[in-house]
Amino acid sequence: MFDFLQYGFMQRALLSSVIVGTTCSFIGVFVVLRGMAFAGSGLAHAAFGGVALGFLLAINPLFAAVLFCLGTAGLIQVASRKAQLRMDAAIGVFFVFAMALGVLFIGLMRRYDARVYGYLFGNVLGVTAGNLILMAALGLVVVGVIALLYRQFKFLTFDEEMAEASGLPTGALAALLLVLLALTVVVSLKAVGIILVEALLVTPAATAYQLTNRYGMMFVLSWVTGVVSAVLGLVVSYTLGIPSGAAIVIVATVLFALAMLFSPKRRKCKVCGHKSSMDMG
Amino acid sequence: MLGAAGHEIARVRRYIGYVPQRRTLDPQFPITVRDAVVMGLYPMLGSFRQPTADDRRRVEAALGAVGLLDSADHVAGHLSGGQQQRLLIARALVQEPRILLLDEPTSAVDVATRSSIVELVRQLHAERGLTTLYVTHDVNEVMPCVDKVLYINRTVRAFGSCAQVLNRETLESLYGSHVVFAEDGGRRYVIVGDSHV
Repeated sequence: MFDFLQYGFMQRALLSSVIVGTTCSFIGVFVVLRGMAFAGSGLAHAAFGGVALGFLLAINPLFAAVLFCLGTAGLIQVASRKAQLRMDAAIGVFFVFAMALGVLFIGLMRRYDARVYGYLFGNVLGVTAGNLILMAALGLVVVGVIALLYRQFKFLTFDEEMAEASGLPTGALAALLLVLLALTVVVSLKAVGIILVEALLVTPAATAYQLTNRYGMMFVLSWVTGVVSAVLGLVVSYTLGIPSGAAIVIVATVLFALAMLFSPKRRKCKVCGHKSSMDMG
Repeated sequence: MLGAAGHEIARVRRYIGYVPQRRTLDPQFPITVRDAVVMGLYPMLGSFRQPTADDRRRVEAALGAVGLLDSADHVAGHLSGGQQQRLLIARALVQEPRILLLDEPTSAVDVATRSSIVELVRQLHAERGLTTLYVTHDVNEVMPCVDKVLYINRTVRAFGSCAQVLNRETLESLYGSHVVFAEDGGRRYVIVGDSHV
């Protein structure tokens, strides 16, 4: 059954599935608990500008995407503070701007290059060794920072005012989460693509949230769901010959639906009789 | 501005147990009451040090002191408003502060819960020998149990004992309105305004 692993491209695909599944599901806990879903989607779309710039200048599109995503994350931070905008409005301004630059860069290319569009939906089977190294390095940074600042991010997310009062640099920590999200997007770009990455940023953590009332356990369950979705999606994609990004997202969504249907939270909370935590303010 | 002062703040911060003003805790955040109280230890534990047996004992003691031991495994955000305030007080207590600073701790709860929280604060203040700073808009809430009153409206307007500040003359000049005192069961209440209740 595992004879497909003899192919180099399948080994790379499997490794990148694990990297993407891990990175997305860790940052995803904050995406879900802090309501950063639009930021994830926005930064993913901003990456399009970077990818296009990469092809225009004939440099590595993923490197260009790192710059674009970090730049957009920075602009979002600055604009929401300077223009006193809510974060979602600032995201709305700059992710479309970055995409517009992408369209401009494509227009400036001498000849049409369809590979740009490959990044919209990703192809985990097309991950090269060079891609893999960059993905692993960025993924390690994201997961490492989350592990190092585990308590700080928890405090920030649960009770920002109190975190600030106890001396944590809450503004810097929130900005750092946005940076980590931007890096995660780039990690996932080649494998699942701009359009579909949002699913891995949200769905595994949302699935985990159905199943636990513990912050630490949410990371564990999100991670398991993320990696299972990515690897199982890859196998399904290979076996049935369907696009890998789509297969991964479909598996993740099925897992979410199952978790939602069988969530212990759907029933009355055993300890306090609270009916459901999902429909509360 | 925060050069020397910032350093000073960092030094004294651990002696201050702060109970923030709020409406409610996030009902979506996956955390138990006990774990939320443990968060009061985070500034001392830093990033990685695990709570010691002694720390754990302090958490249980703080939960007991505010009457939340039975609810320790509930989801924090599912508690009632009054219980959430008790949780926040327990979280402040767990770091064994010298000063307890409460910012309108009763702004989000009903009248009956309000008096039980004031009573809890009064009791903690007495038992633990704390310096307690209690910020409130409602002078009646704390009238029977405070030593000193600091009245702020943009700037310090009055400071002194209850007798010095909470008398008709001073209050009328502070509120710019007619003030009446009512008494019930040996307790005095301030009523501000011209309406007759």
